[in-house]
Amino acid sequence: MSQSEDESWLPKPSSRTAPFFEAASEGKLRLQCCDDCGTWTFPYRERCQHCGSRSIVWRDASGRGTLYSHGLLRRAYHPRHEDRLPIVLAQVDVAEGVRLSTNLVDVALDAVKVGMEVEVAFESLPDGGIIPVFRPVTD
Amino acid sequence: MNHPMNGTAAVSGLGMTEMGRVYRSTVDLASEAVYLAIDDAGIDKSELDGLLINSGITRGLDLHLHVALGLQELNLLTFMQGYGSSAGQMIQYAAMAVANGLATNVACVFADAPLVEGQRTGASYSGGRRFGGDALSSLQGLYGFTGAIPMFAMAAQRHMDLFGTTRDQLGQIAVSQRAWAGLNERATKREPITLSEYHDSPWVVEPFHVLDCCLVSNGAICVIVTSAEQARDGQQPPVYIRGFAQGHRHDTGQAVSDSAIRGPGSRSASRALAMADASLGEVTQCQLYDCYTYTVLVTLEDYGFCEKGEGGAFVEDGRLGPGGALPTNTGGGELSSYYMWGMTPVSEAVIQGRGQAGERQSSNDLIICSGNGGMLNYHSTVVLSPETAS
Repeated sequence: MSQSEDESWLPKPSSRTAPFFEAASEGKLRLQCCDDCGTWTFPYRERCQHCGSRSIVWRDASGRGTLYSHGLLRRAYHPRHEDRLPIVLAQVDVAEGVRLSTNLVDVALDAVKVGMEVEVAFESLPDGGIIPVFRPVTD
Repeated sequence: MNHPMNGTAAVSGLGMTEMGRVYRSTVDLASEAVYLAIDDAGIDKSELDGLLINSGITRGLDLHLHVALGLQELNLLTFMQGYGSSAGQMIQYAAMAVANGLATNVACVFADAPLVEGQRTGASYSGGRRFGGDALSSLQGLYGFTGAIPMFAMAAQRHMDLFGTTRDQLGQIAVSQRAWAGLNERATKREPITLSEYHDSPWVVEPFHVLDCCLVSNGAICVIVTSAEQARDGQQPPVYIRGFAQGHRHDTGQAVSDSAIRGPGSRSASRALAMADASLGEVTQCQLYDCYTYTVLVTLEDYGFCEKGEGGAFVEDGRLGPGGALPTNTGGGELSSYYMWGMTPVSEAVIQGRGQAGERQSSNDLIICSGNGGMLNYHSTVVLSPETAS
């Protein structure tokens, strides 16, 4: 692993992307949304990729979605991966219409299936950062 | 009506360096490939008046390659980047250039040297570089999305969940191609493999084993494109460029697109075949971009060789391998021979089109050749044949 001990796990948010990480620390999934046409977007853009509007705002998403696809990470590429392999890689289609690349947690491996309903959860990193992950809908 | 570009241009020269752990610079490799192609075509360096350049993951080539080659009288020169679709694209632009008198002999060259002494095989492809900059994209490294493998593995998994495609079926693609590689002296991996050995090979990202993934190779390949008339007088049997097209789409991150299952290859292939005035049923062999086993499967479906979702059943009887009904990636492909991006399928198509493939020579009446870049984002198709348009 090439990453040094003193290096933070959480990428340093910029002024543009800070709302995403601030929301995560509050237990919310916050994404960009076009105030004109209502299209949600990820990752960061300053112009709506659908209608071209610059009226992009950050808005709290429902945190619910369905599993578009999944894979099982079997090798560590980052200190976070060590001691917790295999990790379920997931693409989640959130209800607002954006596809997120993320991890699926708290799930039996043989229960992971395209189309399953998932909801956002939050993982605390050793350096104090918090990142959104997803888990099966429990209610 | 015959399309004006159907058979107007041809491949007259092919230059291939040694491939694999060849620790030379990309510029040196590219230069050698160009000189080999010139010799192969039987032309003098002074007759080379066009140069199209594409470099791989290490970005080791740029426009200055012509300086290393001492080419001072060029009528056409550019550096291009369409990732894995570049090789097919270069041939297309070269064909249009020679057909319209911009240049007479155009060298299309690719080189890459991702293998570094003392460094593990995949290092150049999984480096942190791709995740630099914006924190939201850097986050992907924490989740485990490093390089292209996770996205292709998940695309294959979706195909498996939706259509019941099996691991045996993906494995059969690797097994068939390895069988071809055994007949190719240039191939890096020539030892035959069984399905059982495929399943025993280490996981990378499930459902992908190491044997689902292409090799990493250093090397260079150059093809020379000229007019059909010039090619007929050439040193090598001409391989006519009968049809070509491209198809590109950007994955916008919107949940509406089923980008894992449907690529832009369908649009590209149907238009390329229309230019060649040919139908899919007339294709006698495929040279398909195979960065992963799944790329072959999805391309066969997108091209229409079988219905969407039926790719697994289509390949499982060994149809793609030696003796099969649809010889595919007859040199072993990127999985087993060498990974020169889109030049891997292009070079084998030229060898086959000339009838110079020796033991692995397959029916070459109509060869369809694909290039894929990104996560099924960028696509090129070239249709080649030893026969000119009728």
